[in-house]
Amino acid sequence: MKVMTLAAVAALATVSFAAQAHGPTRQKVSDSIEIAAPADKVWAVVGEFQDASWIPVVEKTEGKGGNDAKATRVLTLKGGATVEEELNKRDADKKTLSYRITKVDVKTLPVNDYSSTIEVEGDGAKTKVTWKGAFYRGYMNNDPPADLNDEASKKAVLGLYKAGLENLKTKVEKGS
Amino acid sequence: MSRPRLVAACLVALIATAPAALAAQAVVTVQGANAVEIVDLDGGAVVATIPVAGSPAGVALSPDRATAYVTRPDGPGLAVIDLATRRVIGLVPLPGGPLGIAVDPVSGAVYVADWYAARVFVLVPRDGTLAPDGEIAVGASPSGLAVTPDGATLLVANREDDSVSIVALATRRETARVKVGHHPFGLTLDATGARAYTANVTGNDVSVIDVAAAREVGRAATGERPYVVALAGGRGFVTDQYGNTVTVFDLATLKTLKTIDVGDHPEGIAATRDGRRLYVANWGDNTLSVIDAGTLAVTGEIKMSDGPRAFGDFLR
Repeated sequence: MKVMTLAAVAALATVSFAAQAHGPTRQKVSDSIEIAAPADKVWAVVGEFQDASWIPVVEKTEGKGGNDAKATRVLTLKGGATVEEELNKRDADKKTLSYRITKVDVKTLPVNDYSSTIEVEGDGAKTKVTWKGAFYRGYMNNDPPADLNDEASKKAVLGLYKAGLENLKTKVEKGS
Repeated sequence: MSRPRLVAACLVALIATAPAALAAQAVVTVQGANAVEIVDLDGGAVVATIPVAGSPAGVALSPDRATAYVTRPDGPGLAVIDLATRRVIGLVPLPGGPLGIAVDPVSGAVYVADWYAARVFVLVPRDGTLAPDGEIAVGASPSGLAVTPDGATLLVANREDDSVSIVALATRRETARVKVGHHPFGLTLDATGARAYTANVTGNDVSVIDVAAAREVGRAATGERPYVVALAGGRGFVTDQYGNTVTVFDLATLKTLKTIDVGDHPEGIAATRDGRRLYVANWGDNTLSVIDAGTLAVTGEIKMSDGPRAFGDFLR
């Protein structure tokens, strides 16, 4: 019995540190949309780190640090779950914003080590917005369950991007 | 084709087949594409795409630079690639999460880190492939590995243990564990094996280790999420995954000299043997950036398939 106990402890120890290490295969997704509005108008909405209300699932944005590097925000989603994020780099001239998730439950979004970039490219009266994400799947070891595997993580993020970009288009085009 | 151009083309062909051409190829794991790509560095283009299933990530070359060993974390296992015929000549299954890989430059033994555990697998060349030959206990989530030029010592960055294991290869035992910064990932030795450099992913710095003394002797600041360090001309070059930059620092003073903009999510980086250029694998943009080690300018970009990582010794 003593041997069994030791083996169990060893197994637990393995799980506890492996749970911190992400999987070895980072995933990426990207989606884009064309909006019938000038780039400045689009950037005024997506370039504001402290207001993520253009993402349909977001109910409330609270943060500090404005649009400076290392600024933080907490997104409260409809239903009450939260996502904590940190601004990595915001370039108003290039109209790019990159940030990362510092805390999220895999039940809310099945990802680990998620980072993201939003790019706004103007072409006169039209604007192309691209939202790119890089992340590891929700389950951080071999043999992930179906809801936390690579495909599930990509599907969840892509779903978020599609809904967000479509809502952004509607919002900006209506307001123009 | 006019005659002078034909002559020039023949000259290029002659040069390309000379032994010196060995220094002018990159062997790049393209993880999303499930392949390994051979890049002609003088021509600046991919010349072969070799399918390798299992999300290839780590790469190392045999001492004669004729064979590439590639880890396949989703295999899991590794692939042995003959670089002359550009074919996979062996698939070796391994347990766990094989990721980091290094070759003993003297014996040709191959060391593979198990990301999910706290061990390094030992494999030895046999009958044109690799045969498992035991394992070495190290710290948690071993990542980058390197063997000293004399083949006596293996160094292992233990990502979840914030440490580097120093292993005597004669006895295959860890002789010292050196505390470094937060989450060391890439580990690079200088040409003499005197100093090692780890990129500390969540600490945003590089730890400098005196290998003989088995202690950390300095830190150099980097951009966000440093991944791997390369060395050339008395300078360190560090890929900053989140910064989309390469931080250049002086190896003597450890002061930052320059921050170079490269592609999205730069990962693997290595210097050519003559130390004149560096190549950076941009995972997000599917490119290799070429950096002039003298001027510190980006001089070119090479298109790759999806998800180049090139984690390891990838220049031939």
